Amino acid sequence: MLLSIENLTVRYGADTALSIDSPIQIEEGDRVGVIGSNGAGKTTLLKAILGLVPYQGVIRTGLRPEEMAVHMQFNEYTDAMPVRHIMEAVLGTRIARDRKLQELVAFFEFGDCLRKKYSKLSGGQKQRFTIIMVMMQEAALTFYDEVTSGLDFETRQRLVEKLVEWYRGKRESFLMVSHYYEELDQLAQKLLILDRGLVLDYGPKEELFRKYCGRAVIVVNHCEENEKLLSGFRRLAAPAHLIALSCESAETERKITDLLQENDVNYKRSNNDIEILYTNAKAAKGGNSDAE
Amino acid sequence: MQNNHKRKTVSFQMLGFEFRKVIGNPYVHIFGVGMPVLMMIIITRAVMGQVAGPAMLEEANTSVFLGIGSLIPMATIFMGYGVSNAQEMEKGIPQRMELFGIRAGVSICNRILSEIIFMILAFLVYFGVGYAAVDLKAPTLSGGLLYLVCIFSFSVILFCLSHAISSLLRKFSLTYCVTMLLYFGMMVLGGMMGISYDNMPPAVQTVAKLLPVTYINRDFYIVWKGESYNFMPMLQSYLLMAAIAGIAIVFTIKRTERKLH
Repeated sequence: MLLSIENLTVRYGADTALSIDSPIQIEEGDRVGVIGSNGAGKTTLLKAILGLVPYQGVIRTGLRPEEMAVHMQFNEYTDAMPVRHIMEAVLGTRIARDRKLQELVAFFEFGDCLRKKYSKLSGGQKQRFTIIMVMMQEAALTFYDEVTSGLDFETRQRLVEKLVEWYRGKRESFLMVSHYYEELDQLAQKLLILDRGLVLDYGPKEELFRKYCGRAVIVVNHCEENEKLLSGFRRLAAPAHLIALSCESAETERKITDLLQENDVNYKRSNNDIEILYTNAKAAKGGNSDAE
Repeated sequence: MQNNHKRKTVSFQMLGFEFRKVIGNPYVHIFGVGMPVLMMIIITRAVMGQVAGPAMLEEANTSVFLGIGSLIPMATIFMGYGVSNAQEMEKGIPQRMELFGIRAGVSICNRILSEIIFMILAFLVYFGVGYAAVDLKAPTLSGGLLYLVCIFSFSVILFCLSHAISSLLRKFSLTYCVTMLLYFGMMVLGGMMGISYDNMPPAVQTVAKLLPVTYINRDFYIVWKGESYNFMPMLQSYLLMAAIAGIAIVFTIKRTERKLH
């Protein structure tokens, strides 16, 4: 076990920002996606684990602080020098002499940015700069807090592809906070679902999907015709613009898809849709959801 | 990559990194190099017309020169480091460095050494211009060494105070305001802004006596010449300021400490 959390409470003044009652354990090799809406306590959880905010409760880990690496939501560096000097000082190495660092710089296509000052880097370059240094730490446990927020679609896609490629076949664990569920589809094996400072659920992605959504889901756009057409099937909670149907068996799934095809309705089938999973976890625990 | 936990407290790499930050701060060039040199030239020129004889002129010039020299640590270290650290605190840079495993102590040790290296360079410029442009008396060996000791110990005290103020205020604007006020306050009370210690009201003299800068500005010419001098009041002012700086920095370290499991 890398890390365990028990009875954790973080307060900001009179407000409770995070309250975790059931134990949470992170094992070696775990890739955990942390999801929840704004104010759910995601960043607070990371800060508590890193000892950056005072908390009550127990966080147990055999890891020393330097065995945990973190990419915070906002990372700032001095603007008094080109970023190559910052990188070399932080990592205690020289780029010219360090093959691993050279590989990472090349992998993240950062070579041309080394002479620039931090403020002159684009959003994506800034994120890659920190990611390179975080990865060079070779930490047993890494935290990524909204690593792709503020980036355009294409840059985000490329960055996630790089991360997927980098972690393929490696043993390192990470906790990744993200609002982009398609990223977690690619990167996370487990999900920690938070809502208004409470844990809604924690476990392997597939297990949680089955628990809240069934075998698979069929998602169509929300409109009156589709409502009428699909009224005989089991509806799941879904964002207001969608209708989500649970497919408990292959037979149900076939019936739904046949009906949709006969009526020429576009649909999406998934057995790992994190957005629908999150919406239903929230609805099941009685939390506010955007679902109808 | 080296393990940052095992990083030496002082290394050429970290020293170079911190030194780049020091020279990247415009305040230290303006207030730490430009202003003392300019003030020294202007004031010694102003004194020239009021003093009779070259011996008196040399004494007046040297006295002004030594007093204004104390502005260098006040500007480079006290104000320069203060605003730079506050700017970094505001952006969360020290915390970011700690999250990379670089202990705060490592950053602070390398920073103070870098600040002192810059201050030495500033003094070299100051002395170079001073001896080239103004008639100054050469120090005795003991006088020169004591000036060095006084300036260095004053610098360390100022660094601690500056670190504490900027780390507690955590905002560039507030730190700039507070350090500027204290900087000009020390200049006025130290007798560098036109009113000498002897012409100050008794209540103000009581406060001025608590500041090392008062003794450096008023009396150091005696030490510079190698004449006997009662160091006790000056030492007491150093001890008082060191005690305040010590308490402030311990309080700051305890308050900003990362709480690990």
